[in-house]
Amino acid sequence: MTPSTPDPQGTHAVMVRRKQADVAPATSALRVVWRAVATIWSVPKARVGVALLGFFVLLAVFAPLIAPYDPSDNSFGRSEDFSAAHWMGTTAAGQDVLSQIIHGASTSVFVGFVAGLLSTIIAVTIGLTWGYLRNITGDVINFVVNLFLVIPALPLMIVIAAYLQNGGIGMIIFVVVITGWAWGARVLRSQTQSLRSRDFVTAAVFSGDGPARIVFREILPNMTSLIVGSFFGAATAAILAEAGLEFLGLGDSTTISWGTMLFWAQNSNALLTGQWILLFAPGLCISLLATSLSLINFGVDGLSNPRLREGANR
Amino acid sequence: MNEPLLSVRDLSVVYEPRGGDPVPAVTGATFELQQGDFVGLVGESGSGKSTLGFALTGLSKPPARVSAGSILFNGVDIAGLSLADLRVQRHGGFAMVLQSGMNALNPVRSIRNHFYDIFAAHGHVSRADREERAKVLVGKVELPSSVLDRFAGELSGGMRQRVSIALALSLEPKLMIFDEPTTALDVLVQHAVMNTIRELQAAEKFTAVLISHDLGMVLEVTERVMVMHEGLIVEDNTAAAILAAPQHPYTQMLLSHYGDPRAEVVEVPGLAVRGTARNVSSRVASREGRAAREAIVVSGVSKVYPPPRRGEKPVQAVSNVSFTLEPGASMALVGASGSGKSTIAKMITGVERPTSGTIRFGDLQVDTIKRRSLKRLHTEVQMVFQDPYAALNPLHTVEYILMRPILNFSQRRGQDARRRMLELLDTVGLTPVEQFAARLPHQLSGGQRQRVVIARALASDPQVIIADEPVSMLDVSLRAGLLALLDSLRETWGVSMLYITHDLLSARLVTDQIMVLNHGAVVEEGATASVLRNPQDDYTIRLLEAIPHPQTDR
Repeated sequence: MTPSTPDPQGTHAVMVRRKQADVAPATSALRVVWRAVATIWSVPKARVGVALLGFFVLLAVFAPLIAPYDPSDNSFGRSEDFSAAHWMGTTAAGQDVLSQIIHGASTSVFVGFVAGLLSTIIAVTIGLTWGYLRNITGDVINFVVNLFLVIPALPLMIVIAAYLQNGGIGMIIFVVVITGWAWGARVLRSQTQSLRSRDFVTAAVFSGDGPARIVFREILPNMTSLIVGSFFGAATAAILAEAGLEFLGLGDSTTISWGTMLFWAQNSNALLTGQWILLFAPGLCISLLATSLSLINFGVDGLSNPRLREGANR
Repeated sequence: MNEPLLSVRDLSVVYEPRGGDPVPAVTGATFELQQGDFVGLVGESGSGKSTLGFALTGLSKPPARVSAGSILFNGVDIAGLSLADLRVQRHGGFAMVLQSGMNALNPVRSIRNHFYDIFAAHGHVSRADREERAKVLVGKVELPSSVLDRFAGELSGGMRQRVSIALALSLEPKLMIFDEPTTALDVLVQHAVMNTIRELQAAEKFTAVLISHDLGMVLEVTERVMVMHEGLIVEDNTAAAILAAPQHPYTQMLLSHYGDPRAEVVEVPGLAVRGTARNVSSRVASREGRAAREAIVVSGVSKVYPPPRRGEKPVQAVSNVSFTLEPGASMALVGASGSGKSTIAKMITGVERPTSGTIRFGDLQVDTIKRRSLKRLHTEVQMVFQDPYAALNPLHTVEYILMRPILNFSQRRGQDARRRMLELLDTVGLTPVEQFAARLPHQLSGGQRQRVVIARALASDPQVIIADEPVSMLDVSLRAGLLALLDSLRETWGVSMLYITHDLLSARLVTDQIMVLNHGAVVEEGATASVLRNPQDDYTIRLLEAIPHPQTDR
């Protein structure tokens, strides 16, 4: 899943910080965010990812303006080939393919971000609590997380989705989140365990801080890059899972998305009729969106691991 | 004199971090080493001594780069050699022993395999002779040949460092560079390993460079010493000459921080004279105001940890220790690593619970303390941590770090709390206070960080401060200042202090009482001055002898 950095705040990072001892005096939150963006941008792979993601996000946001037709308007000729009026032809139901692709972007981007965000929030909450606690609660969480880790995700998704029957996008997000948080929680837990024994955490105990404050104010900020990385990983997984579930016909087949496009293309035997674009275009978009997020993750690695930045030009 | 073995001319090394300005680490180093020399290279952190060492062995890695000058080794310029040529040079050429050399052993290969790998890589020992040769090499570093069958995890730190020295020797180097070879080791082991190195050098006649931050040790071991300061070699002379008449003010300053804890009067710059005649009771009586009121009474405390592996014996960390830390007193807890001194600190602060025995602080029963009363204990008993680089969260400003205990432990809020925070900064000498309050830890030096740690410990207005090796991670020149700060704070605020250390000199400087621990048991206790001047126990004597004494040795 997420390419995790073993020890983001390791000794090397400390040494590098020491060398920067006399840089700019004040560091506001905005500046930190700006520096993070600049770091990601400085990695060429991540730059490609950001550009790709930006393209899809623009497509998703401005879909109604960009798309030439209403994606569910089925008043056109059926299964038409490429033409000036329909750049990618029309579907078996007589809808414009290009408009569907453009509108489909908003579904994928929406599901990716919402499901990714929700599963990251669950992973952070559970992973950090689990990592910090050393009592019976920790053991109980351990059991639950292991349960989710050993059950194969796709069959579980299919079972839940089939059980909830055509619930639309909300249902799909729910299924993706339920099956997707466990890995992130595991990764964050091990990082929490290593940070837990640091002196500054003990010092916070001596300062009278409670466990919740220690976990979320002392430990959490020290693993930002891991959390951002796990968010992009979860979002990628969510986009793929959403497309997969809809392709299998487990979503609401009337929504416009790349997954349902594939579902209908398959149903109408698009390959046999020679309309390969019906399968190719949504498939390419799904993989490009997933790739863009993975590429951004290369840059996230550099965020808190200066070693990767230094070594980059060797 | 014949041709020098190593001749360094005008060598400069710069660090060129990506997206940052180049930082010169070594500037214009020029010196020569003859065959068989034993030279010390001394400097504080950031002086460029390790960078120079790496450059000498051709191990400079980006972002470090040799920017000017030449390193002639046997007439060949190392700076211009390719990696492949360098590898060949390592046989009969130069070798390096690192500070963390003990962690350089592969945990899943036996020590024998480590030797065989090197023999195979260079092919200078025939297959039949390998076993014999490996035995000879470990014999040279005073290890039994049985270690060859063992794995890195089964050896102690000192033994592993010896193995890595033997590995470096296996290529019969003409030049050996030791980069802080004993810094990560325990005091007593340090002394033993250093003796081995000295004897080896005398017997094998290789040229050795000993890089260290400890001028005292280097003066004791080597014949010639080079002192580095901010990338420049500021002094290059024989050890005796430097000891007798240091020329450069920096060397003079470094030297002034050494003292003999056994002397009648011990003095280092910035710290008050500590003679034998210090009247403890009168000082306690003169206290007013916030003075400590309650004693920590430790009686018959033992701590046993469960066995690390199945089938092994449980670890007895502390056995039957009793003492009383009187209000306002300052007591040293001294011992080598593994002597149980940190475990005692953990038990007093309620982090760990004793297996048997009781610890009382006022009306608090610390050995069975509940989580709820822990906060009350921490208002009164605070801790100064060893590593200032680890004890401050890198993402919080000094203001945030100091405000937490103030908000948690006192009734002060808003402007009142903030005023108190600035007061604390002023107390520990971090002025201008507003500027320091806004800084993040990475914008502070090590000494400044440790001052913040001390300020944080004082924030709850505690009665007792437990200082766990508070200066051991800092440069020598900073230590005295911090010790003086701790000492004067203790006097003016009237807090009691438990000072945990392996450094007997600093114990002599800031404490009145001392307890020497060995394997979890108290072997000697009493007034600091009298115990250190007339040690009775064998262990105390050994600890004292492990301290480098440049003055007394020559």
